[in-house]
Amino acid sequence: MSNLLETKDLTVTFGGLNANDHVDIEVTQGSFVGLIGPNGAGKTTFIDAITGFVPTSAGSAIFNGHDLSELKPHERAQLGLVRTFQSLELFEDLSVRDNLLVAAHPTSWYTLLLDVLRMRQSNDEIEKRIEWALEVAGLTGLEEELPTDLPHGQRKLVGVARALAAQPNLVLLDEPAAGLDTAESNALGGHLRGLLDHDVTVFLIDHDMGLVLSVCDYIYVMDFGKIIAAGTPEEVRTNPEVVAAYLGEEAGEAQARSAEELRGMSDTAGE
Amino acid sequence: MELLFGLFAGLASGSVFALLGAGLVIAYRGSGVINFAHGSVAAYAAFTWDELRDMPGPTGIGNEGGSIYLPWFDPIPEWGFLKALHINNLPVEIHIMTDPPAWLAMIITLMMSAFIGLLMHFLVFRPLRNSPMLAKVVGSVGIMLYLQAVALLNFGNSNRADDGFWVFNSTSEPITNFIGMDKNLPRSTPYLAVAALIIGFGAWALYRYTRFGLATRAADENEKGATLLGYSPQFLAGLNWVISSVLAGLAGVIFLHKTMPNQLNLYVVSALAAALVGSLTSIPGAIAGGLGLGAFASMGVSATSYEWWPDWLPVDGVRAFAPVLVVILVLYFRGHKLPIRGTVGLGRQPRAPATKHPVVGVGVGVVIALVMSNIFISKWESTLTMTLVAILAMLSLVVLLGFLGQISLVQWTLAGISSFVLIRLASDGVKVRPMDFFVVTGPGWPDPLAALGGVVAAVLLGLLIGIPALRIRGVQLAVVTLASIVAIEDLLMRNRPVMGTAAHTMNPTPKPEWFGQYVGALDENSNQTDYWKFTLFAIIVTALAGLFVVNLRRGVTGRRFLAIRSNERAAAAAGVNVARTKMLGFGVSSFLAGLAGVLIAYKMPMVTSEFFSPFVGLAMIAFVYLGGITTVWGAVLGGMLVGGGLLSEFGSLHFEGITQAYINAVGGIGLIVNAILTSGEGISLLVTNQAKALVASMRGTDTQENHADEIVSTEKESV
Ligand SMILES: Nc1ncnc2c1ncn2[C@@H]1O[C@H](COP(=O)(O)OP(=O)(O)O)[C@@H](O)[C@H]1O
Ligand SMILES: [Mg+2]
Repeated sequence: MSNLLETKDLTVTFGGLNANDHVDIEVTQGSFVGLIGPNGAGKTTFIDAITGFVPTSAGSAIFNGHDLSELKPHERAQLGLVRTFQSLELFEDLSVRDNLLVAAHPTSWYTLLLDVLRMRQSNDEIEKRIEWALEVAGLTGLEEELPTDLPHGQRKLVGVARALAAQPNLVLLDEPAAGLDTAESNALGGHLRGLLDHDVTVFLIDHDMGLVLSVCDYIYVMDFGKIIAAGTPEEVRTNPEVVAAYLGEEAGEAQARSAEELRGMSDTAGE
Repeated sequence: MELLFGLFAGLASGSVFALLGAGLVIAYRGSGVINFAHGSVAAYAAFTWDELRDMPGPTGIGNEGGSIYLPWFDPIPEWGFLKALHINNLPVEIHIMTDPPAWLAMIITLMMSAFIGLLMHFLVFRPLRNSPMLAKVVGSVGIMLYLQAVALLNFGNSNRADDGFWVFNSTSEPITNFIGMDKNLPRSTPYLAVAALIIGFGAWALYRYTRFGLATRAADENEKGATLLGYSPQFLAGLNWVISSVLAGLAGVIFLHKTMPNQLNLYVVSALAAALVGSLTSIPGAIAGGLGLGAFASMGVSATSYEWWPDWLPVDGVRAFAPVLVVILVLYFRGHKLPIRGTVGLGRQPRAPATKHPVVGVGVGVVIALVMSNIFISKWESTLTMTLVAILAMLSLVVLLGFLGQISLVQWTLAGISSFVLIRLASDGVKVRPMDFFVVTGPGWPDPLAALGGVVAAVLLGLLIGIPALRIRGVQLAVVTLASIVAIEDLLMRNRPVMGTAAHTMNPTPKPEWFGQYVGALDENSNQTDYWKFTLFAIIVTALAGLFVVNLRRGVTGRRFLAIRSNERAAAAAGVNVARTKMLGFGVSSFLAGLAGVLIAYKMPMVTSEFFSPFVGLAMIAFVYLGGITTVWGAVLGGMLVGGGLLSEFGSLHFEGITQAYINAVGGIGLIVNAILTSGEGISLLVTNQAKALVASMRGTDTQENHADEIVSTEKESV
């Protein structure tokens, strides 16, 4: 299988601090890749860098055959490289549905003309995609709500749904399960695995180790801006360096065990 | 040599920029507000001083003097039964003493400034302390409008010239052959520069070395800091407002011998530039920035005397353009294409519900307008067409400020550009009417084409102003656009080589004919203004523009505008081309403003640049906020308030000749009240919400269900 996203020596510097330090990450088409690491490791910065929200100081990123370095954030999104934000960043005064429609409607130079003449710009495909995005995020029935009226966990999911509405090839999720309880988190994990059937490749950052270990095919571990380990959930969990740097001895054991259980659950949920 | 002399001469105006800039910094550090009214505080102080000293200028105007005027006006008209009732009017004028000495006048003037500072704190910024940034900006623009208008109402609009006092005096002998340059420097210039340095140093030391200064700086970082030092944050904020305003008053008074009081209003533009050089936080930075800006502008002015200087860049334009250049450069290079992570935005924005059934609403509006037009009742003709012009101008604001969230204060000026360019293009050097004194030369384009030219000019200029907006946001954009107003006025509107005689005179539009139909307001045959065909034309244009804006809001474009208003980062992540969409917004808005300019050119028997003064533009903004900046009905409501309707009818009853000042004063108050009470959502949404709540309670249904907004049902009646 081909690489959908490939970074080489990607480096991001904030005034002397290397928030990303020569990061090499590969995401193959149709896979489910995770990125974990302690707070401040540089995970969000990595997403910011490949989606064009912070400038990179060295290295390259190639997405679906396109060199990303010269592309603006919206151009990357239009290529199918779509992200969510850790810090919500919703359109607070648009309804959930309108939040999704902003991402779903393509525009061209004559869009304004169509608007003014009240020509229909939606089609069945867009409607279906929106319905599907709402379903994956578990937001069906909440279309007309304002994001501010939803609990924090669901607001996060509005961000996920909006990303899906943009018709992504690769969706980069920045801690989507933060604020969800275990059951909700598991349900989300199941739904996200289901994305693979829709030709959406997933790149997941999350703090919920159970979730990451259970849904990902391949996991990268980042600390101090560097990739310190990579491998299957099995390999990562038992990697002594990871355990030392990130999980901590006892916590690692406990997490690993609960992950084991979850894996069984979400596998069935995913089918 | 010319340039070097220019540098020194510029220190005079530089000193007042520096002092005003320092005051802006103090207010900003004290309560996080960029005070657009700062120049107006200085102007009010200058008027107060002049009135106390009563030194009639060359025009010989002036009364007894020795009185102060409190910063408000008497709203109770002196007529009819109200007079008979002997209602105790609000006191405005207080007589102190005839011919007070300078030191006493100075103390009284500075006390007046302090009083205004306190009023601003207690009546505006304290109530707004937890409001979104947007509300604070709107509040300070409201004060600017209010103070400017009240000064006009209390002190009249006659020009005043004040010789000054002590060393700040325009009558003393100039310094001849200044450092061997064979030129005369006004004697007060070095004193002004020294005064700015000393006062600036004093202010810096005050904040650097006293406990109060330390507390202010601590409160700047976090409110607990100040509390630990034993100060209440609100006390600190109030005291800082007083200090800032007293500095403004001082600056106004010592500089008065070089300018006229009402000119100080717009000195805020250069002061903002100076303060921005100091990142809005450094007093020495602002002092240096102010002096530097004065020198820089003055060098530019000196340069115009060289042979090689092009004619089409007039002296005033260069002077006005200097602060714009500084502001844009400083902000542009500090800005980012997209806000960086964790940037605080303007806070919650007013809701912008889509208008339902606009065709019905606009239809009703058109019918009412037709009934009011002189097809039936000619008395209201002028009121009606002025209202339509205002609605059109406000629609342009609804698109840009309401939907896209870009606080541009310049749109009314763009309407002016459209008017001026239209007249220039349509003119052919032949007198339009026998009575006209001046003729405008030009290519003599036929009219739909000339109008198009005007609109295109407005759009191009609007797009040009939109470019900085790609990186400059929120309050800072308001600063840039305010600076642009002054620059455009001096650089383009009053530019004789570009505008022809249109630049400095009152000019009629050559006969406007669209495809054989005469559409001007002046009837050729009867020589009556407000010809019905113009009214019809204005009704059609405004109605179409209204529908256009409604549909824009309901469509894909409107949704994207709102998305950008809400969160630019998220919009970019969702695939929205933020830069292009912003430019589209500036273009559409400027197009509507340009149309308003065309209507004005056809309506007025004479077009003057005064009609497009910055304060008329700010009044437009005030009233569209009052009506509702986010809906078409808000523009309709705002247009009716400002365009002639009730307010000017009432105003003309007891403020003869200065109705506009009265309207501006009320607009300023309205803007402030609106910012405090409704976070700027305006009357139209307020009314809708109330009506819906009422309907819901009568039906006994759950109000939650009526969350989706429907404007038309309630607003239709008010059209
Ligand atoms: N815009 C920025 N300017 C300066 N430093 C930043 C910026 N964004 C992130 N950082 C720093 O980069 C490091 C990595 O942050 P982040 O990517 O948010 O980590 P994570 O998402 O793994 O918690 C942190 O030390 C953070 O403080
Ligand atoms: Mg993060």
